[in-house]
Amino acid sequence: MNSKNIAIVLSILVVAVAALVLMQKGNYVGQATEHYNTTTKANYDAATEILSRVNNSADVNKLVWALASEAKQTVKTSQDMAKLEAKYFPTTKGANSIANKTRRFEATSAYFIISSFDKVDVDKKTELKTLSGLNSIDVSALYGEFVAAQEEEVEGEEEEGDEAVEEAPAPAKPAKADKGKKGKKGKKR
Amino acid sequence: MNKQKFKILAIVDGVLIVALVVVMFVFKGQLNEQAQTTVKEQVGAYKAAVNTTLQEQWKSMDQYGMAWKLVYATIAGANTETAFDANVKKIFEDTGARVKQLSYMYTAASIPDKVQSDISAVGLAEQFLLKDEGGVKEVACGKNCVVKFTFVKGKLKESDYKALVEYNFAENFTVAKAAPYHFE
Repeated sequence: MNSKNIAIVLSILVVAVAALVLMQKGNYVGQATEHYNTTTKANYDAATEILSRVNNSADVNKLVWALASEAKQTVKTSQDMAKLEAKYFPTTKGANSIANKTRRFEATSAYFIISSFDKVDVDKKTELKTLSGLNSIDVSALYGEFVAAQEEEVEGEEEEGDEAVEEAPAPAKPAKADKGKKGKKGKKR
Repeated sequence: MNKQKFKILAIVDGVLIVALVVVMFVFKGQLNEQAQTTVKEQVGAYKAAVNTTLQEQWKSMDQYGMAWKLVYATIAGANTETAFDANVKKIFEDTGARVKQLSYMYTAASIPDKVQSDISAVGLAEQFLLKDEGGVKEVACGKNCVVKFTFVKGKLKESDYKALVEYNFAENFTVAKAAPYHFE
């Protein structure tokens, strides 16, 4: 009877130890899986964030380049420019500086262009001042070049719908946290 | 007779238990090491794939920036074949300007300097002018993006940069989630 009991207990122990051996493997696999999932998720999230930020910012950059390129070929007056701006950025508009004969369009604080015109036209009836004779377009922000600080005095006499805006100095570096969302910044129409 | 059988069974069980305990301790170290190795390998492979995409985006942005400079310069008046060729060369060889433009774009996208520095270790795009045959010139403007300029008798006849204007960044630069971990 004694031998029988011992044999039964030992048999149960064999099964238990065998189960422990198998569980041990499962335990290591579980820990490894958890570590793998955590690490790869962190990598995925970080990479997705970088890709997405660059993609979004580049989307705005692309539209400003397209605007500048089309403006170079078709724009003659500040009104033409305003129409073109509205085509690419329906919710953002530029501002004229009558004193400097320039028009600044800022899609974001990092991406802007400044168009220079030859002369100021005054509507005799409304006395509204506009710019004509597109001379050049400063695309240095698109080149990523340092733009010297320039204060542009903006006069009250703007073309229809334009607001008088005090121009801020151009940034030496593009502002961070600029997600580059289309139409998020700038002056609303 | 039965008693004898149970005795043998008890001895076999005892031996098995000892053997299994030994196996358990031997496996403990081996399994741990194996799990760490496979995790390291698989995480490393995923990281490499992710980094490749980030570096691919960096190089594509370089080509994209160069392409716009070229398009703009061509539109702005440099529309002879000689001027175009000179611009291609000048833009491609001015690595300082390329890095500056890229850095500006990444800073505008709120990418920290340290991250930019890690990605930029891959270097700049190796290719810009892809084709130059019989007045037809194709220039890379990013991954899956080509702009085309056609010259006839040294004068620009057509510039097709529609691909650049319509370039879809989100379609070209994405990372997939990691495949499930497998223990071998």
